[in-house]
Amino acid sequence: MTTNVKIDVHHLTRVEGHGNIVVDVVKGELKQCNLQIVETPRFFEAMLRGRPYLESSHITSRICGICAVGHATASLRATENALGVVPSEQTVLLRKLNFFGEILDSHILHAYMLVAPDFLGVGSVIPLARSAPEVVLRALRIKKLSGDLCAAICGRHTHPIAMTVGGFTHFPTKSTLEQLRERFEAAQADVDATVELFQKLEMPNFERDTEYIALHKKDEYCFIDGEIKSTDGGIWPISRYREVTNEYCVPHSSAKHTRNQRETYMVGALARFNVSYDQLSPKAKQAANALSIKPKTANPYKNTVAQVVEIVHAVEESIKLLDQLIARGVKWEDPVPPARLTGEGVGAAEVPRGVLFHNYVITEGRVTGANCIIPTGQNLANIEADMRALVPSILDRPQEDITLALEMLVRAYDPCISCSTHLLDVKFV
Amino acid sequence: MNLDDQPSRGTLILALGNPLRGDDGAGAAVIETLASLGQVPPGVDLLDGGTPGLETVLLWQGYQRVIVIDAAEMGFEPGEWRRFTREDVILQSRDLTLRGTLHYAGLAEAIRLAEALDSLPSTLTFYGIQPAELGWQPGLTPAVQHAVSEVAQAVLAELIG
Repeated sequence: MTTNVKIDVHHLTRVEGHGNIVVDVVKGELKQCNLQIVETPRFFEAMLRGRPYLESSHITSRICGICAVGHATASLRATENALGVVPSEQTVLLRKLNFFGEILDSHILHAYMLVAPDFLGVGSVIPLARSAPEVVLRALRIKKLSGDLCAAICGRHTHPIAMTVGGFTHFPTKSTLEQLRERFEAAQADVDATVELFQKLEMPNFERDTEYIALHKKDEYCFIDGEIKSTDGGIWPISRYREVTNEYCVPHSSAKHTRNQRETYMVGALARFNVSYDQLSPKAKQAANALSIKPKTANPYKNTVAQVVEIVHAVEESIKLLDQLIARGVKWEDPVPPARLTGEGVGAAEVPRGVLFHNYVITEGRVTGANCIIPTGQNLANIEADMRALVPSILDRPQEDITLALEMLVRAYDPCISCSTHLLDVKFV
Repeated sequence: MNLDDQPSRGTLILALGNPLRGDDGAGAAVIETLASLGQVPPGVDLLDGGTPGLETVLLWQGYQRVIVIDAAEMGFEPGEWRRFTREDVILQSRDLTLRGTLHYAGLAEAIRLAEALDSLPSTLTFYGIQPAELGWQPGLTPAVQHAVSEVAQAVLAELIG
């Protein structure tokens, strides 16, 4: 048995941003187990101060090149809530459809390009392309479709330009929606193949129960608005998000940690699945069954499996939304104007990695205060708690196996360290 | 091996780059010039691909011949341009193995991925134009604007030749 283990993974790979894993075990006792976030703080909240309210969604979408639509959506909802804007039904439908594009794009990237190589015994997507080209091409096809969907609705793939406070500044034509509908229908085969692929991948056997937090609505699997719900019990309006997130600083991370009813909580696909399983689409529930995942699942490695379930959900719901939009016809609408120019509001959205909050104070049309709480920041303490539980149980393994298990654990959370301001290197000390 | 179900297509002229970043719009400008000249032979597709990253693999999938036009840092004077092939260059990238974040995936990574997929077009040619400025606004510098006309003529000559 290994009694002394020092792991120091400096700049973990296949995650977005920079973080280190540091583990120090002396004579079988865990002395240190950190996920160090070494990314430079990015000061987006300070950048917003003094800016006109219409710029907030464009500035904050730059927090992330993957969940730009998510940031823009949460930002617009915060501004709209602050200024008394109620978007039209058409706007709500277009925003939901747009959002599915981004969920699909991000989940496919994570499941296929970042996670699958670990399970298929290859170091990256390049050897995977040699051994299983059809897998990589499938991922690229779905990614392209989701990017094209975003471009059709919000003007371009990344960093939406057509989304604005109170509505849109550009609208898709009927033929664009019909073409997308056709491509989504054709993508069903790729989605089925994705489920089959992940049925074959065996996730590590590790469980640690925690508090799972996600936005929730009674009548749909919630991605935008809703209420904050915990698997430990409790429902909070999004305006009271601070009572849930309780941010605090730790010395080894440039991103703040959070806690609610336990020392740590988890957000993301697995949290949404655990909180809102009942609201999943019929095909997504079938996929969950095929993938042997049911609520409540406490194996963090299965976050990727929950993402695959959400891929099925996103495609099924996108087709429904496209049908709805084609049937009702998309009309030109001017954005709903603000009812006031001074106020405070919170916007919330379930971006690929979990619940995201934007909170703005606006005074006479200018942002005077801003707070953004990003999913990866909320997961950091929970990842460390998983690492502390996992390491003692695998100390009998060779050091490189321990390192890989830890890297895969962190990767399962799909951390976006740049966004949390702040990612991952494993240091075994 | 052709991994696409579609029958093999002819030639694709693919512009890469972001026209909002000054001279990075050189490729798109060449495509525009070619389209306006109206002398492109049938069976040749023109595409402004923008900044597709790894999805470049899908854009050129199924084509026999692909000509990529892009601004390229080659250490030359602004507006100088070169025609070269895959064999002429060593791929340069911060993360060619794609083990990192995938945030930076561009043409070099797309070529590496296409090689691994065995789906690289049988003829792949590049026209690189040395930029003067990759700023934060649209518009080409005069030297690059001049190169755009020359490259468009060179591509036409290659197509017709």
